[in-house]
Amino acid sequence: MNYDVVIIGSGIVGASIARELSRYKLKIAVIDKASELPAGASRANSSMIHGGFDDKPGSVKAKFCVPGNKLWHKLKDELDVHLDECGSYVCAFSDDEVRHLETLLAQGKANGAPGVAIISGDELRSKEPNVSPEIVAALWSPEAGIINNFEAVNAMIESARINGAELFLETRALGLMLDDKGDVRGVSTDKGEFSAPVVINAGGVHSGEIASWAGDNSFRIIPTKGEYFLLDRATKGFIHSFLFSCPSKAGKGITVLQTAEGNLMSGPTATEQDDPEDRSTTPEGLAEVLKGARRLVPNFPVNMNITTFAGVRANTESGDFEISVLAKPRGFVNVAGIKSPGFTSAPAIAEYISGLVREEFADRLTFTPNEKFIPERTNIPRFLYMDMDARKALAEKDPAYAQIVCRCETVTEGQVLEAIRRGARTVSAVKMMTRAGTGRCQGGFCCPRVAEILSRELGLSLDEVTRHGGKSKLLVGKTKEFLLKKEGVRHE
Amino acid sequence: MSERKFICVSCPLGCGLTVTLDDAGEVVKVEGNTCPRGESYARSEVKDPRRVFASTVRVRGGKLPVCPVRSKTPAPKGELFGIARAVAELEVEAPVKIGQVLIHNVCGTDVDIVASRDLAAV
Amino acid sequence: MSERIDVLIIGAGPAGVAAGIGARREGAERVVVLERDWDLGGILQQCIHPGFGLRTFKEELTGPEYMHRFIEQAHSEGVEFRTNTMVFQIDRETNTVWTMNKQRGIEALNPGAIVLTMGCRERPLGAIRIPGTRPSGIYTAGTAQRFVNMEGYMPGKRAVILGSGDIGLIMARRMIWEGAEVEGVYEVMSWPGGLRRNIAQCLDDYGIPFHLRTTVTRIHGQDRLEGVTVAEVDDHMTPIKGTERFVECDTLLLAIGLIPENELSRMAGIDIHPVTGGPVVNDLLQTTNPAIFAAGNVVIVYDLVDNVSDEGLIAGASAAKFASGRIPKTARRIPVKGGENVRLYSPQYVTGETDATIFMRVTHPIEQACRVFAEPGLYSQRLRYARPGEMNEVKIKAEQVRNLPELEEIVIDIQPV
Repeated sequence: MNYDVVIIGSGIVGASIARELSRYKLKIAVIDKASELPAGASRANSSMIHGGFDDKPGSVKAKFCVPGNKLWHKLKDELDVHLDECGSYVCAFSDDEVRHLETLLAQGKANGAPGVAIISGDELRSKEPNVSPEIVAALWSPEAGIINNFEAVNAMIESARINGAELFLETRALGLMLDDKGDVRGVSTDKGEFSAPVVINAGGVHSGEIASWAGDNSFRIIPTKGEYFLLDRATKGFIHSFLFSCPSKAGKGITVLQTAEGNLMSGPTATEQDDPEDRSTTPEGLAEVLKGARRLVPNFPVNMNITTFAGVRANTESGDFEISVLAKPRGFVNVAGIKSPGFTSAPAIAEYISGLVREEFADRLTFTPNEKFIPERTNIPRFLYMDMDARKALAEKDPAYAQIVCRCETVTEGQVLEAIRRGARTVSAVKMMTRAGTGRCQGGFCCPRVAEILSRELGLSLDEVTRHGGKSKLLVGKTKEFLLKKEGVRHE
Repeated sequence: MSERKFICVSCPLGCGLTVTLDDAGEVVKVEGNTCPRGESYARSEVKDPRRVFASTVRVRGGKLPVCPVRSKTPAPKGELFGIARAVAELEVEAPVKIGQVLIHNVCGTDVDIVASRDLAAV
Repeated sequence: MSERIDVLIIGAGPAGVAAGIGARREGAERVVVLERDWDLGGILQQCIHPGFGLRTFKEELTGPEYMHRFIEQAHSEGVEFRTNTMVFQIDRETNTVWTMNKQRGIEALNPGAIVLTMGCRERPLGAIRIPGTRPSGIYTAGTAQRFVNMEGYMPGKRAVILGSGDIGLIMARRMIWEGAEVEGVYEVMSWPGGLRRNIAQCLDDYGIPFHLRTTVTRIHGQDRLEGVTVAEVDDHMTPIKGTERFVECDTLLLAIGLIPENELSRMAGIDIHPVTGGPVVNDLLQTTNPAIFAAGNVVIVYDLVDNVSDEGLIAGASAAKFASGRIPKTARRIPVKGGENVRLYSPQYVTGETDATIFMRVTHPIEQACRVFAEPGLYSQRLRYARPGEMNEVKIKAEQVRNLPELEEIVIDIQPV
């Protein structure tokens, strides 16, 4: 298969780059080993669109965070994704921490983060009555927001696909292919070779390993686990924004936030580990999160927890993003070590990479603008948020929208069918695209129903449907056949 | 003389029963029951323990792929796995009526397997 | 405006079907039961084991058989059913009930009275925050029961069951009868969650080990469940170091409790009791919105379906009375309070308009003779024991309530004698 550009990794970074490059008439392949999106760090993170005060002026992070933030405020409409433009607070409990706020304030100003200001603890409590009475001051960042990261990644890659990019899931990159001159010729994968003169490494927690295929060992990825609590959406309004704590001896900075959909959430820990794929939660990690959450929000209603999860982010030794074009092999671009504020920065990084690729690889690619580029993309209808007239109209047009599949999040069969039409192949892909199964019963009700619809639409038997691809089948066989096989009795 | 203890399964109370047996294995005394069902359960449990069997059978052309069934009366405990296999081998045609006998005298136990719901054809 | 319905019932499980019967018998003309499934019966459709209805029918029926009798009765009483119809919203100001159905689309109904009979749901894994991975193969016992009994598929080959609620015990035996293995049942408390007879006939009969004061502390496996770590717990339910043990399994079934399902009740703006998780009701099963009634597991999780049906009959009858203006404005509202060893109870108010049965559960088991009573001097009954897994009842006559002085409250409790 011949392409102009192969992007390894379809997290928010790879997807954003694919979309930016699809503004040109390029043949773009995005490959990802996952069965569903998002999969890596883009799936399990704080879903924060950062205000831009946290990054050292002059760092690569600082270069992209504020512009990325601005782009998201535009992209939320273009891509039709939920972005709660709620702002964020960094909370200080002591004079020392107030001094930390002052440092952040100065950084914010240097980085061009608009509207950043220090407010008193009482002023914070007038906005967020459930925060600790011991908070003495807070850094307010009005441009910060909280995004539905499941929606955002799917929207971004969908937009890229609308404009011609191709997505290959369950496709694991195995190595870099070089030509006679030792320059990039493509990527070999477990699904065959993807030839292309330009390869972009957006491999997240695996980006260090991928860079080493190109002989670049200039940085190392330190997989860093972050654990979280996610609470019932009935907690909506307990907190309205995003609360950071200052890094201190007590902890590494646990946050409390209300997700774009209204769930209370808290995390993350930051535990370095060797295994980039270990996303298990731990008793120690969860205890640390709970302690941190209660420090900010003493009555944190953990009894309304509906799930715990962990993500692994791609930390680097430098602490900064590793973005580079290699001199040799020609055609290789690192967009590596993208961690917080990676989600925020992604659209700005993508614009930058697009420019960089045009500049650097004019010899390898021809850049003709794609006049048919469509920036807009519409989401799967969100029944839960629609007014009654819109619901009626939708149900009249398509009766599948008059059938609830997920009762907790009021997701209709029509939405599930639309998710499958847009590429969902697993129960959790449907979940991330429609929110079916993200509610308080965590799929107890809808999982069998979603599985039935998947089996019907994809022509699979129910025991072939998986939770999240691979060997994650939901069921192990039909009841009677199972018994007869097991007992060794012949069935006529 | 010997003693055996059971939990009565005749009703949700779950009384703890103590059965005293003589050397010939005959029931001398039942204690702990709060109703006559407990007494008869204890006597049966010593001599001929029985349970109601409940499972499903495969259905062709039904609104559901399987239909629930039960043993009409309690079946010998030792035969339950044999009955499970016999039921697993069966496939019936929809529609199925509640109470319909699907297997007569299953495994020679003199117990019938009956459908426990109506299941319409598609 | 929308069609005229006197009593609208949400959910055609045991409570809803009985409520339909109760409403018709009390004279309501048009009684409609809405059901989201294609068939009637609610969760009892998948409860194919015997054990239902001994009190009502003097024999033990399976779930579908029990419902069959009630449904036949409801049909003959003129109750209307509307299947494949889901209520997704109740407006709190107008009591408008919004329904959806593939044929009828989205409709608004404004009945004379509403009965909530949505039942309950199972507590999911997240509620107990077990660390580890998130592979496939972890199901609530009821979801697994649906797969096995309704869809005809096996969730796994070797199961561990966490929690000893009745559905978990029943599913242990069900898995065995379908040829799977059940490694054991683990219960964090010092006493079983389900009935003793289910321990006997579902676990002991098949030699399935039952571990009290033991819980799952970690989940293993990336794609499919590969095993769990179990550990004994101390008095504070904290895992005891050194007791951890890895158990290989491909399936974890959860039977860790049931929660009344009250999304619609919350939308309707009625008060939800913090302990029962169900609507606050009086003995007419009237909620804090006088036009809305509730019965069955949506109010408080019962042990016996017979109780659910009984309560359904009461709620349906009360709703019919309300719809025709026959609940007197003079009805009293005397609060019921629970004593020290009462974990939860319902109803929370009595009116003196009807004989009341108050259902309650103890916090801690009393394994000796004890007394359940209602003060001041309204009821007293000797019990051989009291256990959290088995509900107790207090019965109070309407005239006793009517004779109570103003501002009185009723206190119920169970104490050893």
